[in-house]
Amino acid sequence: MAAGTTAAVLVLSASPVNAQTTANQCLVCHASLPDAALAAPAKAFPGDVHQQRGFGCVDCHGGNAATPDKSQAHNAARGYRGKPRGPQIIATCARCHSDPELMHKFAPRQRVDQAAEYASSVHGKRLAEGDLGVATCVTCHGAHGVRLVNDARSPAFPTNVAATCGTCHSSAEHMKSYKLPNGSPLPTSQRAEYERSVHYAALAGQRDMSAPTCNDCHGNHGAAPPGVSSLTTVCGTCHTVFQTKFATSVHAQIFEKACIECHSNHAVLAPSDRMLGTAKDTVCASCHEDKDDPGFVGATKMHDSMERLTSAVDSSAALIARVKNDGMEVGDQELALNEARTKLVLARTEVHMFDPAALDAIVNDGTKILAGVDQAGTKALGELAYRRRGLFVSLGVILLVVTALALKIKDLGKEQ
Amino acid sequence: MSQIIDWVDERLDLSGIRHFIAEKGVPIHTQKIWYYLGGVTLFLFMVQVASGILLLLYYRPSASEAYESVQFIVTQVEFGWLIRNIHSWSANLLILAAFAHLFSVFFLKSYRQPRELTWISGALLLFLMLGFGFSGYLLPWNELAFFATKVGTGIAGAVPFVGRGMLRFLRGGDDVTGATLSRFYALHVAILPAMTTVLVALHLLFVQRQGMSVPMKEARRLRAGGFQKQMPFFPDYILRDVLVWYVAIALLAALAAFYPWELGRKADPFAAVPAGIRPEWYFLAMFHTLKLLPSHILGFEGERLGVLAFGLAAALLVVVPFLDRRASREESSPWFTTVGLAALLYFVAFTIIGYLAS
Repeated sequence: MAAGTTAAVLVLSASPVNAQTTANQCLVCHASLPDAALAAPAKAFPGDVHQQRGFGCVDCHGGNAATPDKSQAHNAARGYRGKPRGPQIIATCARCHSDPELMHKFAPRQRVDQAAEYASSVHGKRLAEGDLGVATCVTCHGAHGVRLVNDARSPAFPTNVAATCGTCHSSAEHMKSYKLPNGSPLPTSQRAEYERSVHYAALAGQRDMSAPTCNDCHGNHGAAPPGVSSLTTVCGTCHTVFQTKFATSVHAQIFEKACIECHSNHAVLAPSDRMLGTAKDTVCASCHEDKDDPGFVGATKMHDSMERLTSAVDSSAALIARVKNDGMEVGDQELALNEARTKLVLARTEVHMFDPAALDAIVNDGTKILAGVDQAGTKALGELAYRRRGLFVSLGVILLVVTALALKIKDLGKEQ
Repeated sequence: MSQIIDWVDERLDLSGIRHFIAEKGVPIHTQKIWYYLGGVTLFLFMVQVASGILLLLYYRPSASEAYESVQFIVTQVEFGWLIRNIHSWSANLLILAAFAHLFSVFFLKSYRQPRELTWISGALLLFLMLGFGFSGYLLPWNELAFFATKVGTGIAGAVPFVGRGMLRFLRGGDDVTGATLSRFYALHVAILPAMTTVLVALHLLFVQRQGMSVPMKEARRLRAGGFQKQMPFFPDYILRDVLVWYVAIALLAALAAFYPWELGRKADPFAAVPAGIRPEWYFLAMFHTLKLLPSHILGFEGERLGVLAFGLAAALLVVVPFLDRRASREESSPWFTTVGLAALLYFVAFTIIGYLAS
């Protein structure tokens, strides 16, 4: 009941109309306090996105910002509620962020269902059960120095998300009381694994903001581990074609962890053709060890097909580079080579159907294109040799003429 | 053969020409080697005309077909590669020879009275050759040429007062498009050749009427009663000229076979400007100088001032015979030699720096 009353008071007071027009006495006093924990909010608040839009301390904490008198400022009758904790934080933020009318004035395109989503998350459910150790709004966004999510200084900015989540999830101390559904301890290696992944390399290394970080697979406000049944959907959000191909494959029925079975989850490494086949270090070999196993036979066939196309692409590219380096016009061959490279990309996608015949069809298309490239390249090399032979013959003739002319000139000199 | 000549002689009376050829002599002195530069320039121009006409048989001057037609010439047409490569290399050697000819004439002060008109026609021919190079560079419609033309016509746009009009005239609009290609084609194969033909004829006429100039020292010696040793123009000198032309052919053939002119990628007006855009080497010194100029000099726009300075330098080059009065009196003019050396040094140094910088 008391919490409800406080919330009602806050709802009434939360409006830009209440934005402080006089000097904010909360900041004046708190900035000069010797206790760093009490002074820090006052120092961090200038620059906060809420402060920039006219909100002040009392909009979240209640009280009276117009007076330097502490008892007046911290007056419960003025709605003063101190520092919100646990569920109060969610309620405080949700007063505005779940209000479509209010949010429309500041960020018309922003969603207003974060609180509802949060309630459905593992964090939200545990908070509802009384666990104050879980993440709330301020854990990820900060409390007094809140920045927009597209501000690189925000803890929720894509390149900072792994570190933000890792604050808790990489801490063995923090996570020791949490268990997986099967009772085993919750791992804390996710961030370290993610930072080795191809996704992190794209995000942090190439600054590719479309590369996924924690929240892209787990959700942010509704954060939860993706269930086994939805793994392909999670990966397929970006890797659409792979998801479609995989769905038709025999492995879709067998793999418990779908994509993760071969590619891992947090530590998704850059895929390579070497994953395919039956050699010891291949992924296929971890299940298909028996030579009579149809899977072993299929993996061998697919490996050989891929090997055929990749080596053909490499050798044709080397030939065309050599011919081009010699100055021959190879525009058409370069286009054909690009077409063959596209076939290689298609073949790598097709692998996810685990159907050697379907893969072979694409590989054959590619090698057919490359045969044409090689033929043109070899012809160009022959043409080059012909030109040079022709040049030497011409130079020989010119040398003869020049010698004859020189002799004639010498004769003329003698005559004079 | 003699019967044919007799037949023509009977009708046209070639005795005047015969007499002219028999009497024409070329002075022999220590600097006579520079005489061959004019001949080799003329020879390379003839190579350009011949190879250009052959290219015209297949070239199609439109934005949608130009690149493909050149690609067709170098890949499908029998000896098309040879013709195109000879045309490209010969263009460069021609401009190199023209520059060398100009500088040799300048340092020998051969422009002095009474050969002012020969010098003026020669300087104008050099500008026409540069015009040929600039307009021909765009014709294959490849990426490098497209963007270099954009930059080049942009520089023309910086000419004070008339720049905007010049830019629109050259481009056939505000930007480099198919209309620019049509204009450059018309310039390259009709307007410039017509002008060049007239000027080459005049230049040769002047040379034949006045004979070869001799260095000033030699001229002073002759004035003092010295004897001018000469060789007959025909066949002695002409055979030497032909020998040099054969060497030029050999050089062209070797360059065409070992260093074919790259066609590159087709021009795409919407593509990002590729790295390493630069004009042909003979514009590099000017291009790099304009790049180095500050945005404003004494309150004037730097690039405009630079273009104006180059225009002024070109105008001064044309009227050099009238400025160098000492040379006309056959007195040495060390100031002009110094300025010429400085110009040559600047041209070579900035061409190299410009090449390395891009």
